This record gives sequence, structure tokens and C-alpha cells, in this order.
Amino acid sequence: MNVEDLQSQLGQCYNGSQDPNVQTAAANANQYTEMFKQGQMTKDEYTQVMSDIARTNEINRSADNLQVLEYMNVTINALISLASAVA
Amino acid sequence: MKKLLLLIALSLLPGCTLVDAYMLTHFDPNEYKLITDIRAEAQASKGQCNNAVISKINADKLASDTKLFQLYSEHIPRNNDMITASKDLNEIAQGLSNMYAKETKVSSGFCTIKFQSIEQSANKLQTVLGGRPR
Repeated sequence: MNVEDLQSQLGQCYNGSQDPNVQTAAANANQYTEMFKQGQMTKDEYTQVMSDIARTNEINRSADNLQVLEYMNVTINALISLASAVA
Repeated sequence: MKKLLLLIALSLLPGCTLVDAYMLTHFDPNEYKLITDIRAEAQASKGQCNNAVISKINADKLASDTKLFQLYSEHIPRNNDMITASKDLNEIAQGLSNMYAKETKVSSGFCTIKFQSIEQSANKLQTVLGGRPR
């Protein structure tokens, strides 16, 4: 499997996912690979920015978890207020 | 009828998630200030990548500030997601600082990508921190 095959897989990830985080990660990986192929980044730099994609995914996952909990917190407090009004 | 609806609504929420959501860490203005500073620094720094001397100073400052954010978040109770995220954010910033310490020439494209990545992640975390219950 060569670089072009892997870039094609990234394109499939981009087109096949509805998740904007996945689409951004795939687009970034493709852009960084193109920059590396054109000599705009060293091997060390390329390795680091590709590793950062995984770190960014982890940050997005944590942030998304917290956003769900925040939404639920608002809902729970609204339900508690409703119960207080009923009682 | 309202009581019935309330019972149905509560029973639909999974147990652990329900507790996590109810016990959610409250808004902390210091934590919010730290992530806002990081975002603003990264935003300003990405436009200075053509100047290696200034960029090295910017990279070192962001590595230090993201470390402060990580350490500040570390002992806040029920804050596991933010602890994980702050550690990852520091690793991204520390990588750029290390590269300036190790290499004589760091490419402008790499520098811009790194600061942009820090800015975008900080923006995401700032949104979450700002939305915490008061």
C-alpha cells in the first residue's frame, strides 16, 4: 500500500462520515501529507502534526462528552424545578 | 400527569450519566481565563510564524501556559474529561516548543499548523468551560 492509496482512504473517511470532527481530521491528514510530499515539512514535523490529529480527536471527544453532560444538567434542573412546582 | 411525565423522563436517563450530569463541575472563572488566554495567544502567534525568534518565544510561552492550565485542572473534582483534554493540549504546545529547542530551522507551515491546532482546541474547550452550570 503506497501513500496515494492511504490518501484515497482518507478521502473515503472524509466522504463517508457525517461527523465534522472526522471530516476535519481526514482533511488535515491529507493536507499535511501533501505538504510533506512537496518538501514543505521535515519528517519530524510531519510525524508530529500527524500525532497531533490523534490528540485533537481526544480533545474533541472529551469536549463532546462534557457538552452532553452540560445539556443533561440543564434538563435535570428543569425537571427538578418542574417537580417543585407540581408538589 | 406532570408527575408521571417527570418519572418517565427521569427513568429514560441512564443511571451513571444522570449522576455525572447532576454533579457536573461548576463554572470556574480562573479555568475559563486560562483557556481564553491560551486561545488568544495562539491566535496572535500564528500570524508571526515568519519570524523564528518571536515564534520560539511564543511557543515557549504557550507550552508554559498550557502546562499551567493542565495543572490547574488536575485537582478539580469530577473533571476527568477536562484533565485528559488539558494534557493533550499541553502535548501539542510542548511539541512545538521542543522543535524550536532542537532544530535550527522550523518551517513556517509547521509553525502555523501547530498554533492553529492549539487555537482550535482551545476554542472548543473554552466553549465547554463557558457552558458549565453557574
